[in-house]
Amino acid sequence: MRTDGMPGAQRSRWRGVAVWSAGVLALTFLVAPFVTLAAFTRWDHLALAPGDLGAVGVSLLYSLIALPLVIALGTPLAWWLARSAFRGKVLIDALVLLPLLTPPLALGLLLTSLYGPYSPIGAAFERIGVMLTNSAPAFLLAQVYGAMPYYVISARAAFEGVPRELEQIALTLGKSPWQVFLRVTLPLARLGLSAGLALAWVRALGEFGIVLIVAYYPQGMPVKLWVNLQDIGLPAVYPLLWLFLLVALPLPLWLGLRARRRLAF
Amino acid sequence: MRIDLQLRHPIALAVQFELRGFSVLLGRSGEGKSILLKALAGLLPAQGGPYAGLAPQHRPVGYLPQGYALFPHLTVWQNVAFALPGRQARRARACALLETLGVSRLASRHPQTLSGGQQQRVALARALARQPQLLLLDEPTAALDPATREDVFAELIAQIRQLGLPALAVTHDPHLALMADWMAVMVARRIVQQGTPRQVLAAPASIAVARLLGIRNRLRGVVVDAGHVAVDGVLLAASAAAELARGQAVGVLLRAEDIELLPAAADSGANPADPLWTLAALREEGLATRVITAAPLRLEALLPRDRADAIALRADQSVRLRIDPRHVQLCALNPATEAE
Repeated sequence: MRTDGMPGAQRSRWRGVAVWSAGVLALTFLVAPFVTLAAFTRWDHLALAPGDLGAVGVSLLYSLIALPLVIALGTPLAWWLARSAFRGKVLIDALVLLPLLTPPLALGLLLTSLYGPYSPIGAAFERIGVMLTNSAPAFLLAQVYGAMPYYVISARAAFEGVPRELEQIALTLGKSPWQVFLRVTLPLARLGLSAGLALAWVRALGEFGIVLIVAYYPQGMPVKLWVNLQDIGLPAVYPLLWLFLLVALPLPLWLGLRARRRLAF
Repeated sequence: MRIDLQLRHPIALAVQFELRGFSVLLGRSGEGKSILLKALAGLLPAQGGPYAGLAPQHRPVGYLPQGYALFPHLTVWQNVAFALPGRQARRARACALLETLGVSRLASRHPQTLSGGQQQRVALARALARQPQLLLLDEPTAALDPATREDVFAELIAQIRQLGLPALAVTHDPHLALMADWMAVMVARRIVQQGTPRQVLAAPASIAVARLLGIRNRLRGVVVDAGHVAVDGVLLAASAAAELARGQAVGVLLRAEDIELLPAAADSGANPADPLWTLAALREEGLATRVITAAPLRLEALLPRDRADAIALRADQSVRLRIDPRHVQLCALNPATEAE
């Protein structure tokens, strides 16, 4: 559409309409499959397949354990990436991107090669009684591995957004570096950290490719969806999917709302 | 208190100077003045004192950076209470500090909603909360509204004096330096002069110092006799020449405000034997007029409104200049290390 030659107010109205339409289009695109889901779900025969509830329990329990592990391991790395400058840092950046770029199925194979019973590491763990395939620790390993890169990248950007000067001022006000981190860096990075946490949660809960290879058992929701599809068919997929969405959504929603509310002064 | 500090990173810097009361370090941008303050606060590695080897959180300094760096996620009173220990009574103590600085009504506002002057007060209150022994201020007037800058800053100095705290402010603004108790001048990353503002102003150590002090006419000349210097063949009467050896090369400094212009006409009171000066430009500066001469020398004079009105100056006119010999200051030429 030609917009030159229009008066300014009219042009800016057209621009507003264009942005709005593009937004609606994108949202429609994103939501459309779920409209289909709602339409195809047989609401009168809504029933879970045997083992579905167990899968929900497994997914929730291990994701809740995985999330603190992701935070504990990922936060120092993200902070270090945000705050340090050295030659060859781009190499470290590439290393962090690797797990994101590699297809999950391939990652699962790589993790099995590294931690499986035929590897020295896997054998060592087995000797102390920890199996790193088809076990709870293996399930956790897959979840943490799948979720951590997303958290690290968000958290790093969040830390980079905190003005150095505010941290320095806090030091001159007599606070130790740790206190500065807790009282200045964390609160100022909270929006990005919350986003990272939400992403990590969604990744941990929804991880399929890695889990499929590394820990077919215990069976979480994503693998159970696949099993339901194989054994029973589509009608057994939709109810579990509804349940999955129901348990997955609250945490990211709450995190987003909370971070934003505290941002609006 | 004495500052004696050496830095290698991010720039090489070695400075020694005294602090007395409210002190100002005057220097151009890029001299490393902010870096020096950060080093004093312990935020950059440096050798020497005071506070050698102490981590920033253990140094008894209050640091006010340019722009004040108030915490955006905290209210005004929470900013001030940041350094205060404990849970109870923090708010009361923070509000008492805000009260002292006359900004207690802002206690529950957020920093983003404050003016530059208000933010400065809050930053000062926050720095005072940890009971520092030295205040460090980086370009304290930079973020202030130009219309009220002088007043706001004069009040800030008065308050700091009242607290009896030694303070070091770094700035490139000579007006600010003149309000201090003590000043040091930095040129080419070295301290080239220090003293009270009156002492420094009366005898700038070099042409570079004169430039920092805002002296507009900075010329190179030679001492001719006990009462005169020659600048490009033009003889200027200068009382200070009496103390210098004949033939010595000197910097000749003249404030624009100290040059008086007289009409060329015989009845103007000027000495008809004085040379006639042609004008290059007239520039209105508010109510005053800045006059730039073309020949025999290029000089700047600042005429107050009544003088400019009285002689009805035009750019194509010639004039005679009257300069009090006591106002012609002579200084050393810049040492090789000092770039003009």
